[in-house]
Amino acid sequence: MTRLHRFAEGVAALLLAVIFIAFMVQIVMRYLFNWPVGWTTELSLAAWLWLVLWGAAFVLKDDEEIRIDTFADGGSPRRRRLVQAVGAVSLIVLFGMSLPASWSYVTFMKVEKSSYLGVRMDVMYSIYIVFAVAVIGRCLRQLVRGPAPRAADASSASAL
Amino acid sequence: MNFTSPFSLALGVIIGLSLLGVPLGHAMIGGSVLYLYLKGMDMGAAAEQLLNGTYSSFLLLAIPLFILAATIMSTGSIMDRLLRFCNAVVGRFPGGLAQVNVLQSVVFASMSGSALADAAGSGKLMQTMMTRDGKYTPGFAAALSAVSSVIGPILPPSIPLVLYALVSGTSIGYLFIAGVLPGLLLGAVQMALIWWLAKRRGFPVEPRVPLRDMPRITREAFPALLLPVILLGCLYSGITTPTEAAGVAAAYALLIAAGLYRSLRWPDLYDALLSSAKMSISIGMLIAGALVFNYVITSENIPATLRGMLQGLQLSPMMFLLLVNVILLVLGAFLEGSTIILIILPVLLPTAVALGIDPVHFGVMAVLNIMIGLVTPPYGLLLFMMMKIANVSLAVLVRESIPFLLVMIAALAMVTVWPDFVLALPRLAGYKG
Repeated sequence: MTRLHRFAEGVAALLLAVIFIAFMVQIVMRYLFNWPVGWTTELSLAAWLWLVLWGAAFVLKDDEEIRIDTFADGGSPRRRRLVQAVGAVSLIVLFGMSLPASWSYVTFMKVEKSSYLGVRMDVMYSIYIVFAVAVIGRCLRQLVRGPAPRAADASSASAL
Repeated sequence: MNFTSPFSLALGVIIGLSLLGVPLGHAMIGGSVLYLYLKGMDMGAAAEQLLNGTYSSFLLLAIPLFILAATIMSTGSIMDRLLRFCNAVVGRFPGGLAQVNVLQSVVFASMSGSALADAAGSGKLMQTMMTRDGKYTPGFAAALSAVSSVIGPILPPSIPLVLYALVSGTSIGYLFIAGVLPGLLLGAVQMALIWWLAKRRGFPVEPRVPLRDMPRITREAFPALLLPVILLGCLYSGITTPTEAAGVAAAYALLIAAGLYRSLRWPDLYDALLSSAKMSISIGMLIAGALVFNYVITSENIPATLRGMLQGLQLSPMMFLLLVNVILLVLGAFLEGSTIILIILPVLLPTAVALGIDPVHFGVMAVLNIMIGLVTPPYGLLLFMMMKIANVSLAVLVRESIPFLLVMIAALAMVTVWPDFVLALPRLAGYKG
């Protein structure tokens, strides 16, 4: 598990590196060679999309997500387990409910191709299905195993 | 309001799930799916909104790049050099180290876009420096680190302003430039307050750094100090797009950290990439959820309804802004800030525009307000963070931060009633508003 998690982290770091390098190439091409290229934009957007959904599926632990832990993490272990179970079941139902429609949207996108790299859009967007299935899987695991022990230094993550 | 309408139920599910500790992005997707289901709409629309929104927002790429730049800048010896420079400049004034803390925040703010990153980056270091030899009480030092971090997202670059640009369609370049004067104002009122407190409470003065050492200290910090200049130059002149400016900032940070200061080795680079990636993912996921939920808000026509309601009240623009300030301060005490920007501001903005309020002014004011919320109890994330870093009680921290809160609210009032103060610099750069 830890090895798989490290692999997932490596992929995330790589995707961020791809965004960064694609940007550098874009700026150099445009300003030094006066030759604007479109594929760099497309590559960095694709890497960004995959970074977010891949990361949310496999890299971030629950306490690294932006969430409100004030009410959820307090109280007795039993209460915490119950609170988390209700959350997990709701997500399983809601993500499960929308999975068939999401699948048909993503597969429908096979008719389109990305403008520069010519990637089929159903392939590009398939990461959403991976993400949705991973969310359901993680919730199921949480139900079976109960809540993870609370990390000592877990702090509320935020974007600001 | 009908409590069994699909929208109310969806909103209830989102709030409920958030309180259960479900990540906010997931909760917003879940609630939106329920709305689509109850309305008999295609549930695939959730995936569609999320995928198209994330894949098409070139602007959002600025977020991972600014985070990367700030992470690299806070590694290794760069922070030390900046601190030495700040100490040489303001250490000699009353409350020397406290002044250094604020100046350091101003300098670092112009490299990073996140208050929490600022507090995490330098908070611990400043805490140790300020409390060594009992110079300052731990409570004061921690409160100061928390309030000075608020400057971070006002001065460019700013992740909250990128989020606002995303939902409002306002130019991110002008928003960044508009943040400069309010950010400096915030630094100035904090330093003035420290000066005053220093006289009353007898804060120590740091030994004067001899003038002959200044050139060396400045030279050592100079390449790092140049980053904000480059960034603002890119924005002001329009040489690069703001998103590309974020890439330039990251490249420059990498160049000086690895090339010039040699403080960044391969493992450090990997760690910087990974921790930046993680932070970007958590923000990206929140944005993804907001994209889906904003689709629901739009299908319900909520912004227009609210505009109609508020216009019925015949509010003057100033009354409206004050009302918004109060709403945001109250919401900020309970809601996470980026959620307010992504969900609440787009609902309020059409009314603001209809009242003739400038969207750039509105955005800077709202972000400043939300940032102040980060140090306002009970849900002030910065307070919690410094509580953990400095190991002081919330009560002490709150007591020490109240004077700072008051001067910051005064600064917010000034920004609210004086749009020209915010808009002067953007207008110089060609903004028509």
